[in-house]
Amino acid sequence: MKLTASERFARYLSGQCVDRMPAIEWAPWWHLTLGRWYGEGLPADCAGVEAIQDYFGLDKCLQTGVSYFTPASPVVIPGSGVGCMEDEEDWARIKPTLFPDVRTVIPQSHFDWLQRTHERGDTLHFFTVEGFFWYPRVLFGIENHLYSFYDYPELYKEMCQAYADWLVELFDYVFSRFHFDFMSFAEDMSYNSGPMISKECFDEFLAPFYRKVIPVIHKHGIPVFIDSDGDITMAVDWYASVGADGMFPLERQAGVDVSTYLDKQPQMSFLGHFDKMCMKHGESAMRAEFERILPSMQRGKVIASVDHQTPPDVSMENYKAYVALLHEYAAKITHQGSNITPCPVFDTAERSKA
Amino acid sequence: MSTILLNEISEKLQRGKAKDVAALVEQALAEGVAPEIILNDALVVGMNVIGDKFRENQVFVPEVLVAARAMNAGLKILKPALAGAGVEPLGTAVICTVKGDMHDIGKNLVKMMIEGQGIACIDLGVDVDAQVIVDTVKNNDVQLVCLSALLTTTMHGQKDVIDALKEAGLRDQVRVMVGGAPVTQAFADEIGADCYTLDAASAAREAVRLIREMRA
Repeated sequence: MKLTASERFARYLSGQCVDRMPAIEWAPWWHLTLGRWYGEGLPADCAGVEAIQDYFGLDKCLQTGVSYFTPASPVVIPGSGVGCMEDEEDWARIKPTLFPDVRTVIPQSHFDWLQRTHERGDTLHFFTVEGFFWYPRVLFGIENHLYSFYDYPELYKEMCQAYADWLVELFDYVFSRFHFDFMSFAEDMSYNSGPMISKECFDEFLAPFYRKVIPVIHKHGIPVFIDSDGDITMAVDWYASVGADGMFPLERQAGVDVSTYLDKQPQMSFLGHFDKMCMKHGESAMRAEFERILPSMQRGKVIASVDHQTPPDVSMENYKAYVALLHEYAAKITHQGSNITPCPVFDTAERSKA
Repeated sequence: MSTILLNEISEKLQRGKAKDVAALVEQALAEGVAPEIILNDALVVGMNVIGDKFRENQVFVPEVLVAARAMNAGLKILKPALAGAGVEPLGTAVICTVKGDMHDIGKNLVKMMIEGQGIACIDLGVDVDAQVIVDTVKNNDVQLVCLSALLTTTMHGQKDVIDALKEAGLRDQVRVMVGGAPVTQAFADEIGADCYTLDAASAAREAVRLIREMRA
C-alpha cells in the first residue's frame, strides 16, 4: 500500500487500514535544543522546520498560522503575559485595529507553496489559530484574563463573538483555496492539576463560539485538534462536546493517560503522549515508553509523538535513536483487522457533499 | 452575633466579593470583634474552604483569584488593627520564579494562598537570580523560600538556589519549597528541596507546617 502523507493521515483518522502510522513532530524544536545539536554535528545550514524534519527522516508536518492583529494593532509581546486592554473602553479602541481582511492574511505565494508541497505527497499541512481561551488571554494578559470571567463577562463574550465572526469568514476563504490535513486551536487552558477554568465557565464563555466555528471547518472536511498542555482529562470531554476531533500534546508529566481517553471518547484522535522526559535516558528507556503507548496506538487513532518539544537535555544521538524507534513502532500500526471508530468529521464532510 | 458576621465574611470571600468583605470586616471591627478572630475565623477559614475545593477540582483558578482578592481587601482593612493588637504574622516567606523564567501566575497563586494563612510574603517577582534570594534570606527573618518554575529548561534554577543557600551557609535556616508544571516529587528529592506540592492550596497548607516546624 503506497500512500501519500495526506492519504495516510486521513485514512488513519478514518480508522481505515494504513501502511504505517504517520511519523511526525507537530511542534518546532526549542532553540536551546537546536543549539546543543548544532554543537553535536547538526549541519549549520540545516535550519528551519522542514529542513530539520528532513534531516532526521521524519514525515514532514508543517504549520500555517495567521494572526488577527494588523499593523495598526497595539503591540503585544508574545510570551510576556502582558495584554493590551483592561475594559470595555480599551476594547472599543482596539477592536477596529483587529481582524484584517481575510483575503490578505495568506499571500498567494504561500497558497502556491502549500499546493506544491502537498502535491509532492510527503507533507502534511495544518492550519492554526488561537482558541477562545487563548485569544482573550493575549488581549487581557494572563492574570486579567483569569479575572475577566468575573469582572467583564459580557465583554469576554463580545470579544469572542467578534473573533468567531472573523474566523467563519477566514475559514471559508482559506479552506476553499487549500485543503489542510487538519487544523488546530491553540488553547493551553490546562496545567498539571487540570483545567484552569470550570466546566460551567467553559460552557458559558468558550463552547458557544466553538459550536459556531467548528461546523464551518467540518463543512470543508477538515478535522479539528485542540492544542492544550497540561492535564486535559476533564477538558477532553468538554472539547468533544463542542465537536473537536482530537487533542494534543497529552503531556505524560501532567499525568495524562491516553488509554482512558480512548475509553471515553473513542471517536477522537490523539497526537503526542510520548514522554519527553525519558529521552535523555537513551534507547532502552525510549523503547519502554513506546511499549507503554503501543496498546493505545493499536486500538485507537493515537499518533505517538513527543509530548511537547524535545528538551535540551536530549543529545542528538538520543534524538536519532528516538526517530528510529518512532519508525519501528509506526510500522507496527496498520489497523489491519482492527475495529477503529472513525473520526466523525469525515462523515460530516460526506453528508455536506451529499 | 459575631459568628453570623464571621460566617458571612467567609462566604462573601469564597464568592470573591471583595467590596462586601472589606465592608464586613470594617463592621466586625466596629462591633468589637478581635482582629485575630476576624483573621482566623473568617478570612483564613474562607480561604481554606476555597483551597480545599481547588484541590478537589470543585473551583478553578479564576475562583481562587477572586477569593484571594477579596481576602486581600479584608486584610487591608484588618492589618492596622492586627498591628495595634500586637498580632504578628505566622512567619515570613520569600517567593519568586527562578532565573530565566518569566511566568508568574502560579507563583502569584501560591503567594495569595500563603498570605491567606497569615504568613508574610516577600515577593521577589520573576526571573530572579539565586544571589538575590540568598541576600533576601540573609537580610530578613525568613523561614521559608518558595521557588516556582514553569519550564523544563528553568526548573534546574531551583537547584541553583538551594546550592547557593548551602554555599552561603543559610540552608539550615530556611525550608525550601518548590513547585511548577514540570516539577515532580522525584525532582524535588533529587535537588534537595524540603517540600514539593502539586497545587497552590497544598502549598499554603505545607507552608504553615514548615514554618511552625522551623519556629518550634
